Amino acid sequence: MISLPGASTFEIIAIWIVLGIAFFGLAYALLLRRQVLAHDKGTERMQAVWGGISEGADTYLKRQLKTIVPLIGVFTIVLFLSVYIVPPSEESKLRFAGRSDEALKLLIGVGRAVAFIMGACFSLMVGQFGMRMAVQANVRVASASTRSFGEALKIAYRAGTVTGMLTDGLGLLGGTIIFMIFGVASPDTLLGFGFGGTLLALFMRVGGGIYTKAADVGADLVGKVEAGLPEDDERNAAVVADLVGDNVGDCAGMAADIFESYEVTIVSSLILGVVCFSITHELSWIIFPLLVRGIGVLSSIIGTYLVKGKKDSKENNALGSINKGFYTSAAISIVMFGMIAFFYLHEWRSFLSVVMGIVLALVLDHITKHFTDGHYEPVKEIAKNAKTGAATLILKGMAYGFEVAVWQTVVIALTILSTLIIYWGQPAVFVLYGVAMTGIGMLTLTGNNVAMDAFGPIADNANGIGELAHLDKDARKIMDSLDATGNTTKAITKGVAIGSAVIAAVSLFGSFLTDVSKVQLQMGFDKADLLSSTGIRISVPIIFVGFLIGGVIPWLFSSLTINAVTRAAYQIVEEVRRQFRIPGIIERTVKPDYQRAVDICTISAQRELIPLALIAVVSPLLIGSLLGVEALGGFLAGVILSGQLLAVFMASSGGAWDNAKKTIEDGLYGGKGSDAHHAAVVGDTVGDPLKDTSGPALNPMIKVINLVSLLAAPVLIAYQKPGPLATGMIITGVIAGIIIVGSILFSKRGGFKKHPFIE
Amino acid sequence: MSKYIYLSAIPEALIASMLPPKEFGEYMATGTQKRNVSQAIFFEIDMEEIRDLIDMDYVNSRCIRKENGAPKSSVYLSVYRALEMIPLRALKSLYVTTETGVVLELQKTEYDKTRIVPGALHLYQEVCPVSPLVASSFSPEEFLSSITSGVMHIGVPKLFFVDLKLGELAIDPISGSAEQLPYRNVGHLRDCLEILKTEDKKHMKTVQRTFSGTVLYRTINTGFYIGDKDNIIYYKYPTMAEIEDKNYDFFRAI
Repeated sequence: MISLPGASTFEIIAIWIVLGIAFFGLAYALLLRRQVLAHDKGTERMQAVWGGISEGADTYLKRQLKTIVPLIGVFTIVLFLSVYIVPPSEESKLRFAGRSDEALKLLIGVGRAVAFIMGACFSLMVGQFGMRMAVQANVRVASASTRSFGEALKIAYRAGTVTGMLTDGLGLLGGTIIFMIFGVASPDTLLGFGFGGTLLALFMRVGGGIYTKAADVGADLVGKVEAGLPEDDERNAAVVADLVGDNVGDCAGMAADIFESYEVTIVSSLILGVVCFSITHELSWIIFPLLVRGIGVLSSIIGTYLVKGKKDSKENNALGSINKGFYTSAAISIVMFGMIAFFYLHEWRSFLSVVMGIVLALVLDHITKHFTDGHYEPVKEIAKNAKTGAATLILKGMAYGFEVAVWQTVVIALTILSTLIIYWGQPAVFVLYGVAMTGIGMLTLTGNNVAMDAFGPIADNANGIGELAHLDKDARKIMDSLDATGNTTKAITKGVAIGSAVIAAVSLFGSFLTDVSKVQLQMGFDKADLLSSTGIRISVPIIFVGFLIGGVIPWLFSSLTINAVTRAAYQIVEEVRRQFRIPGIIERTVKPDYQRAVDICTISAQRELIPLALIAVVSPLLIGSLLGVEALGGFLAGVILSGQLLAVFMASSGGAWDNAKKTIEDGLYGGKGSDAHHAAVVGDTVGDPLKDTSGPALNPMIKVINLVSLLAAPVLIAYQKPGPLATGMIITGVIAGIIIVGSILFSKRGGFKKHPFIE
Repeated sequence: MSKYIYLSAIPEALIASMLPPKEFGEYMATGTQKRNVSQAIFFEIDMEEIRDLIDMDYVNSRCIRKENGAPKSSVYLSVYRALEMIPLRALKSLYVTTETGVVLELQKTEYDKTRIVPGALHLYQEVCPVSPLVASSFSPEEFLSSITSGVMHIGVPKLFFVDLKLGELAIDPISGSAEQLPYRNVGHLRDCLEILKTEDKKHMKTVQRTFSGTVLYRTINTGFYIGDKDNIIYYKYPTMAEIEDKNYDFFRAI
């Protein structure tokens, strides 16, 4: 199966072992799933509450699938046909030597299309299976909390680990299989794999983000603020939608998001590895990323299995146990990377790049924690400003949000600089490879990271079930404690998700430069005119225009997603108010129609998917076809810079406002009901769509734009020569412009056709 | 079904009800339709002690189940000078209720002078029958006595009030930290406390003439006091740790 000319026996065996580790990771996920499902689902009342959440989750997932599948079909055809516009690469001709051009095109076209479907399906599986697992686990955690803290913690964390290991296992499996089949020709198909995963992640992130915040904001505004009901009160018609939303956003959305970063870093490292291989003829450039990923999966398995709580342990012990697992995995990984570097690579540069990635993840963790955790000065300062009202609280949160964006970007810049130093004196492609390896290192502990993230909604939902099922005080204390730990772990992993998105985008950007240059060379461009020689000249006005427009896209995207949340939350507010007026609901003699709120959120979320996805997919085509491929490079740089800053700002300020509110609720400045608390609630409500919808949605958006640019670049180069084909490019640009304007109008108005549920 | 008589402090009223204290608290805070959001603070009254003071026939005729079988939630017996009318010996437990209807029962405790720091300033939220926020150099006992003894030009026969936290301002109004205090216009509060500290003859200073209707339950210092010129009844307020341990629902709601 493996065709790697010049590969040593060790390398062949190593690739098979990596494949085995991918299956092992999936088997571990299955084992944990069985362990979690073996626990009981508690009392009838708990199961009745859980039934509502489960039904709501099913409705959302089915509708999402219905919306997405046709689009997957369209893109599969487009990707298959793309090889008939731009021929397969020289590496493909080398790998499949002896085949006719037509046979090769068919093979690569099918490979790319199948890889796209595989990437999309894997991303979908991670999101959907992960979310279903979370839903299965939450009721069991609630039930276990009536017995012991340790058991509840174990179930919640292991259920989260199922999603983590699915991310690890499927990401590694996809990349390895493609590499084993296509060898040095794999970049031609890997792009399809990456694009499939990223596009689906965009859907899951945008849909999940809109759903979760529409439900959350809507439920809080009427239930808590207007009616004075406590959190998770059974009389609030949006309470089930809110609980479903936690899974949709923080579990399905986040898992798919990290999966695509995981996927994209392996795609870009293999693309750049192949270029390095073509220069040095050393296969280690390609094989090392796969080995690193394999080691990461193994160390995640060991680290996550170590997470256990004592029967009477408190919150800090839960976090301590989770951290112990994380640091154990990190230590095992570094030692094993060192061994590979010493015994196999016989040099330390790639090893150092990977270690820089792990260090970067830890530093970003700490920066995020410092600015968003209630135990540190910034959140305390924000909470203090609540005493003078919502305005000063919001301003302080914004100030810190901007500051986090600065520090995170500086740290990422320094990491890239360190890669430059590590590969000092080497051609640019090696530096870019180093950046890609940093991304690989950063996501080494994806299993742990996703487990930590998915733990959040599981604990949150368990707490909601406990509240609705009126569990006793001791059980709720346990669930409150787990919920608080989950809030911290969720916030930490958000920092890693955004940071890894930027690193992945930078390595894709590197792949863009090398790929464009390769195609230009194939097309007969002079060496001096290659993009790798000219670079992206920001001083040229047209390139600068591309850069400016690129910087605009994340803002446009954020505006539309916040608008969508606001619109959907308004509908939820109206619906909950309407149901409060139904006799018997307040008296608890009539059950609210939870499904209706679930339907409103689901419809609102799905309706926004297509226009937002179209903006991400079509905008690089608009720029590339009208302004050219170099301006497209400028456009990508603009998207990455602006997207990174905005995503970090939104996620951090939103997280900080949230925790400032929690700090006040824990007793600061008079606690609940105080003026400070009212101000903090305003801040939290403003921050909710920023941190859970718009900010996270930028991660996959940045990468979709990068991958579309990578896929489209060869076509753009081929057809931008003067002549009738250039006219075709202008027509393409105009059509792309019309699609974008239509999408913006559609999204701003909330659709062209009103839905019966939606005013 | 049993009947209960409650003396509500916010608003001042004497109310008969078929609801036991916790249900009554929830009803008072959120209303039958849950469309109301307000705190409730009330005493349970020993019916035997007031039998001669109220029209029991009226209570018995009105406090009956509704047509649908639901208990009667409230029958207002008096909304004027209710506290003045009820003898202190008739007061049973005090119930404080959050806006969301979670109730905490406080029982009568021996007034403990040792809990009062000598020389410290105090902040009292009068609840009933008048309700200004007053800073004072008096201990709760002295404060009550000064208002109810009839010596002062302005006084009331009985007073129900709560002692609120002042933090470092209790000792040092000028430079003590007010960081954790949730009160509006801390500058004005400092001014009032400073006057009490510097003017020997001044023992009370009104900080705020009107009451917002909300007591921040996390800022209560020693507890609630009710009394007249001869008697003081003290309802000790537990520490936050005690509330968390024994009344977790209330702890989560405040």
